[in-house]
Amino acid sequence: MNTTRTRYGTGYRFLTIGIAGWMTVVIVAGLVLSIPRLNILEESARNLYFHVPMWFALMAGMIVSAVYSARYLMKPTLERDVRAEQAALVAMLFGVLGLITGMVWARFTWYVGTGKWWNFDPKQSMTAVQLMVFAAYFVLRSSIDEPRKRGRIAAVYNLFAVAIAPFLLYVLPRQLESLHPGGEGSPAFSQTDLAPEMRMVFYPAVIGFIALFWWIYTQRVRLRLAEERLADG
Amino acid sequence: MQAPITPTDSTDAAVYDSVWAAIPDAPPVGLETVMLQQDKLYVVLAVVLIIWFGVLFFLFRTDRRLAQLEDDLDARPEREDTFGA
Repeated sequence: MNTTRTRYGTGYRFLTIGIAGWMTVVIVAGLVLSIPRLNILEESARNLYFHVPMWFALMAGMIVSAVYSARYLMKPTLERDVRAEQAALVAMLFGVLGLITGMVWARFTWYVGTGKWWNFDPKQSMTAVQLMVFAAYFVLRSSIDEPRKRGRIAAVYNLFAVAIAPFLLYVLPRQLESLHPGGEGSPAFSQTDLAPEMRMVFYPAVIGFIALFWWIYTQRVRLRLAEERLADG
Repeated sequence: MQAPITPTDSTDAAVYDSVWAAIPDAPPVGLETVMLQQDKLYVVLAVVLIIWFGVLFFLFRTDRRLAQLEDDLDARPEREDTFGA
């Protein structure tokens, strides 16, 4: 298969430095700038800047992965397969981090005194299901030895895995009683769910974490392609 | 047992109080005594640390793969050494 080399030059380096600086500002701003005081939530509302962008990064990763899976089916190349796989892998990292941060946030904010780490919130449960669907993608990959066959079957499975995500993560949880905002409509744009001063940090945090996803993802793609080039001799 | 839902003040906090949010009636114990300090700011610290560890995990994995790649490069048949090429 073709292993054409993508060059990552000065522009890439400047972007990564930019992402590092951007995220540093987001973390500081997220901890320092004042936020409205709410009962129960108190300062833990700042987790909005860290827990929620995990899901945006997951979505970004799933979209990138699905795009390369679709492109692989149109014209199979090693690079498209590698990009689909690595995007899914890094997306899963953010999904797992989102799940764990959510568990910790809930445990010490809404479930103080109950000892409940897992509360079967619809969004939490459906996310766990979605992550298992993704985990199966990697199991499927590892079970097929022939690269072209693996690429094709994995791409088809991945498109299904990504296609069910909006329903599991967004449509279904909003129909049920949940700790998460959104049952009354779109949480991101409703006035009560997000104070104006928090939007100043929240949106940059979302952009920053999606950029961080992109950085880790491209880094891993470079590594995988270098490995393949070396294996080819 | 579902703890009773107590009315909150007039802020928007009510938005977040559903049947899922059990209002604590027991004093905090163990890890909770730490996490609830500073108006629950340590919960944010925990979340930031979890994300940091997740990124670190990938960093270490990438590092190991790179080391393997370097070993494989070294194992290749000897070539003309061209400094600065």
